Amino acid sequence: MGESNNDGKPFDPFEAWRGIRNESLDAWSKVMIQAVNSEEYAKTSGAMLDAYLTASIPFNEMLKKAMTQALQQANMPTRSDFISLAERMTQVEMRIDDIDAKLDHAAMRHAEPPEKKKSKDKEKNKEGE
Amino acid sequence: MVAAPIQADEFAKAEERLRRLSKILTTKAAIAQTPKEQIWALNKTKLYRYYPVVPAEKRHKIPLLLVFALMNRPQILDLRPGNSFVEFMVRQGYDVYLLDWGCPGLEDKDLKFDDYALNYLPRAIRKMKAVSGCEEFSMLGWCIGAILTTLYAAVCPDEGLRNLLLLTAPLDFSRKDLITFSQWTDERYFDVDKVLAMFGNMPAEMIEYGAKALKPVENYIGNHLRLFDNLDKPKVTESWHAMNTWVTDNIPMSGAAFRQLIVDLYRNDRLMQGTWVVRGERVDVSRIKANLMTVIAGDDHITPPCQSETIQDRVSSTDKELYRIPGGHIGIMAGSEAAKKTWPHIDKWLATRSEE
Repeated sequence: MGESNNDGKPFDPFEAWRGIRNESLDAWSKVMIQAVNSEEYAKTSGAMLDAYLTASIPFNEMLKKAMTQALQQANMPTRSDFISLAERMTQVEMRIDDIDAKLDHAAMRHAEPPEKKKSKDKEKNKEGE
Repeated sequence: MVAAPIQADEFAKAEERLRRLSKILTTKAAIAQTPKEQIWALNKTKLYRYYPVVPAEKRHKIPLLLVFALMNRPQILDLRPGNSFVEFMVRQGYDVYLLDWGCPGLEDKDLKFDDYALNYLPRAIRKMKAVSGCEEFSMLGWCIGAILTTLYAAVCPDEGLRNLLLLTAPLDFSRKDLITFSQWTDERYFDVDKVLAMFGNMPAEMIEYGAKALKPVENYIGNHLRLFDNLDKPKVTESWHAMNTWVTDNIPMSGAAFRQLIVDLYRNDRLMQGTWVVRGERVDVSRIKANLMTVIAGDDHITPPCQSETIQDRVSSTDKELYRIPGGHIGIMAGSEAAKKTWPHIDKWLATRSEE
């Protein structure tokens, strides 16, 4: 009987709590947005990142060297080998794309009616002169 | 005796809620469902063409190319059926193409904005022109994608770009007091070279943290509470699931491009100052002459409105519009109001400018 409110919705004992929760979250959110926009936050987060990097970079370098040496001794390709291979692949893909562009251009020219082709050639000749 | 069935019913509901919560938090939603074909690829970059659904005679003549940011997947443009900008535009009769930059590997750490905007993008445009058979085109750039499209439009103004749409475009970096990222990446506190020396590319996790930390309570707590509160509303949970799938699927940004973003743009505002040099050529935004629409999200905390407003006065375009809409950086294009406000406005603007 007393289980529904005026809107016909079932009574929810948590509704009031949810309202309070949302209001406090809003207030907390505003405070945090202000905090992350402060110079102190930028300074602190920068210092934390810097400390992490300062500590990690030497280990990282050491690990890279050791791994490269181990792979080379085992006659296995290293990361840099794969990187240079991938770069060369991209260069090859670019050349193929250049050829594709020329083929597309030729196909378009072939599809054009002869009158249009002639007028384009004349334009080109004029530009050449 | 009467209370027992009610309790059983409540238990069943609670069980269903738990099952749904578990599914949402442990699986990926099916996103980017609009049918498409890949028509071009170079390195990790791919160009897709969406299959038209409108008869050829009713289609707009000028194709539309969508260019999204480098550090997020472009699937946000085609989030899920019924809530997809791509699907909407295809249904409005546009020949829609999407450029996906892909996920850069360590071999791509030296790729710069120069490469993306003046090598990859022109090649993709060339292919789009060949496939569509149209020499002119429209281009929509969103977020970092808007920097790339602006760069292209300024350096190649005579390559057939008829309409340029810039969405939440971070172009003006002069108001450092209003741009949180500018404060965080200040050279006194953030050593970009040290980060790149360690990782090569800018890691996706750091980018994701940066975006979420702008509104920490909303992104880390409020967002999950919203899901928990709405577990018995399938529409809300499906939408949350799709968005969460996209939000948590970030990609790294190539090191050299990230360095340019921080040093040239966030720190020195070189684009708007007219001192940004790419491939030996100074980028002059006044060379942009395409019809221009700039869309600004009023509540954007990632790209505050001050970053997108000034471009309007700097270009040579005679046909230009500034469209300001309430909402956040992503919400204006993928939120519940997008289909009612942003998309129809873009369609209306573009439709009249997409005929031969």
